[in-house]
Amino acid sequence: MATMEVDEQQPSRRRPVFTIDDDHPFDLDAYIAPYTGRTVIDRLIAIIVHCPSIAPHALTLAFQHLHRLRDPSLVNTVIGAYENVLGTQEGKGLPPVADVVSVDVEWVEEVTKRNVAERTKLEVELKTYTNNMIKESIRMAHRDLGDFFRSTGEFGLALKHYTKSREFCSTSQHILDMCMSVLELAIEQRNYTHIPSYVYKAEGALESLTIGSAVASAVAPSSASTSQVPQGFTAAGASTTSGGGIGASSMAGSAGGLSQSSQSRKSTDRDHIQTKLEFVLALSHLGTGAYDKAATAFLKLGPPEQLGDWIGKLVAPSDIAIYGTLCALASLPRSSVKAQLVDNPIFATYIEQEPYVRELVQAYMASDFKTVLDILSRNSIRHNTDIHLSLHTPELTKLIRHVSLVLYFMPFETVRLERMAEALGWSVEEVEREVVGLIQGGRIIGRVDSRGKVLVAKKTDHRAELFARAMKMASEMEKTNRKLLLRMRLQQADLVVKDPKTTRREHDRGLEIALGDSMV
Amino acid sequence: MSESLPSPPEQPPRAMEPEEPSSTSPTASTSASVSIVAAEATTPAAVVALPPTAPGAPPPSPSTGAVPLMPVGIDNDISLMNVITAITTATSPPHLSQYLKNFAPKEVREVVLASMLPEGQDPLAILDIQANTLGILYILSARLHVPSAPRPPLNYIEDFCSNFVAEQARFAPDRVTLLAAGIVQAAEQEGNLRAAILPMQALLLRYSPSPSHLTTIHPIFARICVSSRAFTVALPILAHPITTIDLAISDLTYNDNLVYHYAGGMIYAALRRWAEAEEYFEICACSPGAVPAAIQLEALKKLVLVQLIREGKTSPLPKYTHPNLSRLFKNTPYSAFVNAYPHHRSQLRTIVEAEGPLFSAEKTLGLINEALERAPRWSIRKLTATYLTLHLSDIGRAVGIENESHVRTLIFDMIQSSEICARLSADGTVSFSDPPFQFGKADVDKVLGSAQEQCTLLARLEREMARSKEYLAKAVKGKDDNVSWPGAPTAPMEEDISVDRVGSNFSWAEDVGFV
Repeated sequence: MATMEVDEQQPSRRRPVFTIDDDHPFDLDAYIAPYTGRTVIDRLIAIIVHCPSIAPHALTLAFQHLHRLRDPSLVNTVIGAYENVLGTQEGKGLPPVADVVSVDVEWVEEVTKRNVAERTKLEVELKTYTNNMIKESIRMAHRDLGDFFRSTGEFGLALKHYTKSREFCSTSQHILDMCMSVLELAIEQRNYTHIPSYVYKAEGALESLTIGSAVASAVAPSSASTSQVPQGFTAAGASTTSGGGIGASSMAGSAGGLSQSSQSRKSTDRDHIQTKLEFVLALSHLGTGAYDKAATAFLKLGPPEQLGDWIGKLVAPSDIAIYGTLCALASLPRSSVKAQLVDNPIFATYIEQEPYVRELVQAYMASDFKTVLDILSRNSIRHNTDIHLSLHTPELTKLIRHVSLVLYFMPFETVRLERMAEALGWSVEEVEREVVGLIQGGRIIGRVDSRGKVLVAKKTDHRAELFARAMKMASEMEKTNRKLLLRMRLQQADLVVKDPKTTRREHDRGLEIALGDSMV
Repeated sequence: MSESLPSPPEQPPRAMEPEEPSSTSPTASTSASVSIVAAEATTPAAVVALPPTAPGAPPPSPSTGAVPLMPVGIDNDISLMNVITAITTATSPPHLSQYLKNFAPKEVREVVLASMLPEGQDPLAILDIQANTLGILYILSARLHVPSAPRPPLNYIEDFCSNFVAEQARFAPDRVTLLAAGIVQAAEQEGNLRAAILPMQALLLRYSPSPSHLTTIHPIFARICVSSRAFTVALPILAHPITTIDLAISDLTYNDNLVYHYAGGMIYAALRRWAEAEEYFEICACSPGAVPAAIQLEALKKLVLVQLIREGKTSPLPKYTHPNLSRLFKNTPYSAFVNAYPHHRSQLRTIVEAEGPLFSAEKTLGLINEALERAPRWSIRKLTATYLTLHLSDIGRAVGIENESHVRTLIFDMIQSSEICARLSADGTVSFSDPPFQFGKADVDKVLGSAQEQCTLLARLEREMARSKEYLAKAVKGKDDNVSWPGAPTAPMEEDISVDRVGSNFSWAEDVGFV
């Protein structure tokens, strides 16, 4: 749980700073528009830290959004971030906080008061329920407290209450709800290592839920009265939660009128949750640096509608387009990129949201690597300020550069480094350095003529290689055989090294042991 | 950790009777050797307990009627004369051996065997080396070990070693071991260990039934070759790998095997024949055992260094290596050395400087230095895979040698020893090229031939194994557990056996090598 609070020290760490100019444009308003809720503030803070030149604008935007939330501590966090930037070299000349925004003290006080009141109310409720030992109510009280703490920015407490509610879950639906809440919290906190275990828990719950409801619906028409009890119970619990849809539909099912529409609705709900789980898992792969897994997972996602309320609240479709594309270009082979990305109609709907990603993919498929790298550099601010992507941007860019080099060289037998440099827009030294690294890493099968600055593909004489290999294997095998034979003989004769302490005992057992050892 | 290991045998423990003057150094008589001696001493305790001052006492009659050929009068009277008579009149070597082993209580027996005839005549002069090999063997070995006995002249020993009849000597393998140890001991006392080499070599060559048999003479011989730095003498013997163990012709212990292969590795390493050295050290380090022996750890250290010298990297140990061995190795400074090899030369030097005393105490400093010296070569080898041409200065920078002329000499040397294929032009540019593959039809035929030989050998061994009593007993026993009904037909049983054989007994064949 302590890991949930990692972000505490992040502002103190020195972060790279990016300037916005003609080559690196960035439209803050367009960027922030699709988001709602807390993530807006998180993203704006990232921008304040990374791009001092637009920090005042970001600060203003943040204050506009702050009032829609109920976490007064965010005011200080945002101002703190801004003041940090003011203190740095790049922040010189920016207007002070007071010139940009004014803190609405009244609002802060009022919200704080309201929060305290609500907290007391919820805690009293929890206490009462705990005394009465009503399991379902205790669960709901924990859940409400978790929601409350999450909205007021006390993530540790929120997680504590969410996980506490686990003990009082009585149906798979409850477990699922709990997992989804924790996952949302984990995404907000960018706690990627925490994610997979809850995804698996949620998947388990989802599975049993689907099976359970399928069985129940099958039984329902014949014996509506018997199935009423558990189904009704589920509904009672679930209808009050955010995933009330399922509860409602199962109510309809238990009523005996198992209509086609309710069944399809149930399956859509299932798809929604499934897609959300896939998304969060993909995000955790990205967060932990498993780019190939992340790429595959992002490219498999269902359509954006299925992410439901997460769109905007946690993520924008354009984010998914960027994450998925960058990971795919960096880690997947060209054929997979074509099959999974270019020919993928569902992912195309994500790409639509971010036109430059389409250009990026097209340039990549056309082997126009200079454009690929240009687009990457042009949009570097977008990538470097993204709360989920920023840490991985340098690594992903490096990987894409490597892929570009490897793909560029692939059709050639010899290439002048100069020409490569031209095609990729780098200096010759840079190309040579990268190429040498790739050769040593085994990615490029070739050798560099460092005098003539030429990269030459390695010609392998497969026949000779085969012969050499076979001869080597033969002699190795012969040696191995001989050594094993000796070993076997030694064991048969019981000439094995013995522990001096147990020698006497083992001596009596003699050959039996020797044979036994040879089996091991 | 280390106390669980048998002590490193400086000298191999022999199954010598306890009262003999110990030829082994004091360190050798700790843990392992003592228990082996105790376990393998064949003399009945009652005999040992007899007072040595009673030469006239009736000898314990041999347990069986094993010596019926002995003249009746001699039986009751122990004197060298009678022994000589017995030797000269005996017709059956096994019976003679039995007699010589049992004609008197042990200490008495050795003293008698080592004594002179009444007129001060040397019994060896009477006996014929060819006809009385067994008798002479007893006398010689006793003479070499009884402290007060007159030493047999060296040229007589040499004569005996190169002319004795091996078939006779094989009836008394323990005496052969004694003789070998005695020769070495005598040479050591004279301060001329090299003198022992030739007789030992002759003894070894004549005694072992084939070059692939391991005998107790092997480790002693290999050890004196190492001690006296007469490395090349051992080569003809080391050239035949050991594949056969026959306890009937040699009373071997596990230490004989370990010491022989360890010393063999040392010899090859001293001659810079790294491939063979690697094999010998590997056999020693990977010999079977319930616990790893200290000598195996030493062998492993040297094995790893030899691999670094030979390949520039270590290769994984066979799967059957004792797991504790690699764990023990990881705790030594050698492990750090291996990890830093070959690119981090400064780190390597730091290790060598810091652990120098340890390395020189463990007698590995030579190998360490050799490996260190060769480190840049491996780095250069790696460059040839990346570059076609490279300037000397670039190479120097990549390898960590500042002086360009040093790099030049190094490259020259590597080209000459055909470690790399390259051309060096006047302006200091090195052009690397692929080494040409050269295989003739004859090479391929040779490899194929030896592979077929191996196949036949393995097939024969498998058949032998499938026929062996131990194996059948085991297979049938395993079967009894599976089959619950009585009178199961025979045919399925045989099927079972073959399945079992492939599945379990021969699982080693899958484990190894084919990966």
